[in-house]
Amino acid sequence: MSEPELLLDSDIRLWVFFPIGLVTFFVGIVRHYLSVLISSQKKVDLTQLQDSQVLLRSRMLRENGKYLPKQSFYARRDFFNNEETGYLTTTKRPAAPQAMTDPTVMAEMLKGNVTNVLPMIAIGGWINWTFSGFVTTKVPFPLTLRFKPMLQRGIELYTLDASWVSSASWYFLNVFGLRSIYTLVLGENNAADQAKMMEEQMSMGAAGMPPDPKGAFKAEWEALEIAQHQWALQTTDADLLRRAETLIAASHE
Amino acid sequence: MSGRLRTRVDKASGDRIAYSEGAIRNNSAIIEYCRTSMAALSGATSGILGLTSLHGFIFFLLAGFVLWLLLLIKAGSQWQQFFVSRKNLLTSGLTSGLFTYVLFWTFLYGMVHVY
Amino acid sequence: MFLCYSMAKAVYKFLFIFGFVSLLHGGYSAAQHRRFIRITEQEYSTLPTDVFVQCLVSLIVTMYGVVHIVGDFREIRANIQLENKTWETAGNRPSFYIFSHRGRNLSPNYSACDGAYGN
Repeated sequence: MSEPELLLDSDIRLWVFFPIGLVTFFVGIVRHYLSVLISSQKKVDLTQLQDSQVLLRSRMLRENGKYLPKQSFYARRDFFNNEETGYLTTTKRPAAPQAMTDPTVMAEMLKGNVTNVLPMIAIGGWINWTFSGFVTTKVPFPLTLRFKPMLQRGIELYTLDASWVSSASWYFLNVFGLRSIYTLVLGENNAADQAKMMEEQMSMGAAGMPPDPKGAFKAEWEALEIAQHQWALQTTDADLLRRAETLIAASHE
Repeated sequence: MSGRLRTRVDKASGDRIAYSEGAIRNNSAIIEYCRTSMAALSGATSGILGLTSLHGFIFFLLAGFVLWLLLLIKAGSQWQQFFVSRKNLLTSGLTSGLFTYVLFWTFLYGMVHVY
Repeated sequence: MFLCYSMAKAVYKFLFIFGFVSLLHGGYSAAQHRRFIRITEQEYSTLPTDVFVQCLVSLIVTMYGVVHIVGDFREIRANIQLENKTWETAGNRPSFYIFSHRGRNLSPNYSACDGAYGN
């Protein structure tokens, strides 16, 4: 614990060191609320929901069809796979739009960029412009020279110890270190919210929507076509009788 | 309330124990909250105390241990109701708060000791 | 019971605020001490013991408050959670929901009925 070899003006603390942390923190808060404000609720339209539910049902039929009688299984399969009237064979859906040409996807991406990247660049530039060239602080542990360009952006002093931090780098330190603080400050309203979680569960079927209904239908059709019906309950009565017999035999001994 | 379950076979008795996914997530969110607060506060403290280099990192580990004790005190004697494993509570996510810790350490160290 | 619970919450909140303010005060004292040492040109070795102890104690008090403020743990064993559920909740099968059933024609304020039988 020796005296630092550099004595900084305490005005730097008040007007550079402290404001940078404050600005970074509040920009993060504002950014969060901005993204909440402009993000649109994902809308589910009827045909998509219908498609996903049909796929869900067909998958359940494949998996659990063994508990159905043979006739029921084939009747259900016929509903999906009939050449003329089956749902999977007759329903025509347009091929999935390309991600880049779909305007809604583009708008979402743009919104993400606007709220995430743009403020970071803008505030970073502003900080660089306003507070450039200050030695703001010293990290309390020794660092190797390798860290010098990372921590002393904006100061080219060869003899300065690597553990001193310039204003621009202090900003980046803040940006990365405050991330978990945001979840602390803003996280209560989305992390442990029970109602939201329940809602998510309810709409799980719709959320797992295939992006390309045409391909999904084709795959499902194929899988259903080769699905063999093996009735799992075929021998239940015999099994039951056998168990009863063994039980009776055991009790007579 | 989440209806999903996760099961694990208990080694001692061979019983199958079902855990509720939602409750586990709730508990781990609480622990995560405590961890982040602890990282920030202990970072601030070590900055005020002016700990340097190795002392600071030892203090970080010490703070993690103290947090573990506090959580166990909070859970009381029936910690098995709330956590799958007591040891996991100490070790998992110990390093997740390191960046926050370093930030607050640097910040308070700068505020108190550099100027 | 409820009063007791909320009072305990208030106590923990008070502990948290008290500890936090005390931590800040400790920091301020440390900065003052540091400046005093610098002005009087003494060699800085360590902080005075009272500041040191104050910081550590207030850290622990604050953390104790935070740990209790943040919320209660929930029972993770599933069968305990299921015990106080009604049969309606436990037997809920979303896959069997039907929305287009006869109930809609029996409903007095269903708009299609109004159109068909309305005046």
